[in-house]
Amino acid sequence: MSIDVSGVNKRYGEFVALQDINLTLPTGQLTALLGPSGGGKTTLLRIIAGLETADSGSVVIEGVEATRLPVQKRNVGFVFQHYAAFKHLSVARNVAFGLEIRKKPKDEIRAKVDELLRLVHLDAFADRLPSQLSGGQRQRMALARALAIEPSVLLLDEPFGALDAKVRKELRDWLRRLHDEVHVTTVFVTHDQEEALEVADEIVVVNEGRVEQVGSPDQLYDAPANEFVMGFLGEVTVLGGVRLRPHDVEMTTAPVPGALEGRVVRALRVGFEVRVTVDVAGQDAPVTVVMTRTHARSLGLEPGTAVWLAPAEGATAVASATPAARPAPEAVAG
Amino acid sequence: MTVALEGRPGRARPTLVNHNLTTASGIGLGVSMIWFSLLVLIPLTAVLVTASSGGWAEFWRSITNEQTRAAIRLTVMAAASVTLVNIVAGTAIAWVLVRDRFPGKGLLELVIDIPFALPTIVAGLVLVSLYGNDSPLGLHLANTSGSVYLAFLFVTLPFVVRMVQPVLEELDMEVEEAAASLGAGRATIFRRVVLPSLAPAIAAGAALSFARAMGEYGSLVLLSGNLPFESEVTSVRILSAIENDNQAAAASIAAVLLVISLLVIVALDILQRRVARRG
Ligand SMILES: Nc1ncnc2c1ncn2[C@@H]1O[C@H](COP(=O)(O)OP(=O)(O)O)[C@@H](O)[C@H]1O
Ligand SMILES: [Mg+2]
Repeated sequence: MSIDVSGVNKRYGEFVALQDINLTLPTGQLTALLGPSGGGKTTLLRIIAGLETADSGSVVIEGVEATRLPVQKRNVGFVFQHYAAFKHLSVARNVAFGLEIRKKPKDEIRAKVDELLRLVHLDAFADRLPSQLSGGQRQRMALARALAIEPSVLLLDEPFGALDAKVRKELRDWLRRLHDEVHVTTVFVTHDQEEALEVADEIVVVNEGRVEQVGSPDQLYDAPANEFVMGFLGEVTVLGGVRLRPHDVEMTTAPVPGALEGRVVRALRVGFEVRVTVDVAGQDAPVTVVMTRTHARSLGLEPGTAVWLAPAEGATAVASATPAARPAPEAVAG
Repeated sequence: MTVALEGRPGRARPTLVNHNLTTASGIGLGVSMIWFSLLVLIPLTAVLVTASSGGWAEFWRSITNEQTRAAIRLTVMAAASVTLVNIVAGTAIAWVLVRDRFPGKGLLELVIDIPFALPTIVAGLVLVSLYGNDSPLGLHLANTSGSVYLAFLFVTLPFVVRMVQPVLEELDMEVEEAAASLGAGRATIFRRVVLPSLAPAIAAGAALSFARAMGEYGSLVLLSGNLPFESEVTSVRILSAIENDNQAAAASIAAVLLVISLLVIVALDILQRRVARRG
């Protein structure tokens, strides 16, 4: 196992930032630490790197007990959200930095830097200063710099967080491809569930200093361990005391056994899909249903139309902690 | 086609665009040049004109006078040494003030500015009472060249500290953490990552410190006793030349100080650029 975190606790004064974290991340995988801002993701990543010390617990990297090792000795590559470029050094010398520290021969350094700059598509920019690069290019430089020392693990803290949406999407696809090529054990922090679902082999959901769930994107999406994970990975609506995805609600215009009756409040077209808001009798919050435009048109939905709602077969559902005002069976019309 | 183009007078661009300067920056440049000329260029030229009024031989004789040479040597030596001390100590003090937390930090912040706040003659009195003939510290520096070094140290202390401090505060700690994760130890991080960022500020502080020392008068005149060949500095030399009604000699010494200061400032700038690009 590549990274083994056990029993890690961290406080800042009275504030508990991490609480009994136990985590095992296998070699060669791309893992996402996913969770809301302030949940403790950065703190955990920095403890793994040795940039922060845990109050208790241990960190083992590639079988080496690293808890007491300073960051210099852990052989981890760390990529920061705001690039942390060496502003006075050219792109090539930024990438060479770790190798120069290790006193590698000059020609070996040059060859390695050339290879890495090609890998991150910056070979044409070797002699530029970081200030002459775009955000995305700077982050690729930072990645090459971290990879240069052939780290046991690569840690990235919201690496695309400071970039605009388009570059962000490009870079995350590129990170996935790069990882398939380089195979270094990688952990990246993100608060964007789409990014985690798209890129990661495994996702660790972190919230309020605790690990909520660990699993593959499919496992997390299809079988969330609790309300929080379900809510964080995608949109959720409550139907008769059950939380489920808006696209997992089946809607009919004729009564169906077991379905709840409601009235359409509005139908909003967003691109290729239609979001329908439905008031269900005896339920405080309206239900949101998402369907294709074709389906919506075939139902002929208008504000006020009576509809019947039921969870689709095989829908991901979690019992709601906030029960609906009335038990489900009584609300069934028919 | 030509006709069609000519038929659009509205597209003609204002001629202003063809200039490199906008009106605002043009006025700005003009005002600063006039200001600079009034305050700096004209007085400097006047010094040089006065210095050369007696001809080259007269100029040379004034500045090679034994007593004057001794004063110049002492002033330049003391100013240079004190500047070197300030480069190291000033950077260290700034570092401690920004990066460390310790009791009495607020007091230290205050103490550093005292040389700025005190009128120099008051500083001179303080130095006399501390290091004069009845020194409570047992350090008797009156009438020695040591008093010149001491006075220079006192008045130039804040320059490097106050130039470096804000730059250090703005430094991104993550850059240092990145260097650490790449294997750099504390000393290497300082030399290769921090120092290049601080170099311009250190050089600016050093230049101010050197220039201030070269012209210092008030803080040392009481303690040093102005003994020729021992503790007499150039500013005192200039004053006595003027008292003897020898304007040309005074201006000649001033011209030498001017040239030395310029050379040092240029040298510091070259050095600074080297360090900032290294790493
Ligand atoms: N150096 C620190 N001092 C005090 N509180 C901190 C420090 N670093 C982080 N925290 C707190 O710990 C919590 C977790 O922070 P962080 O790990 O940065 O979360 P995330 O990366 O998930 O957004 C936050 O509430 C933050 O305010
Ligand atoms: Mg964070």
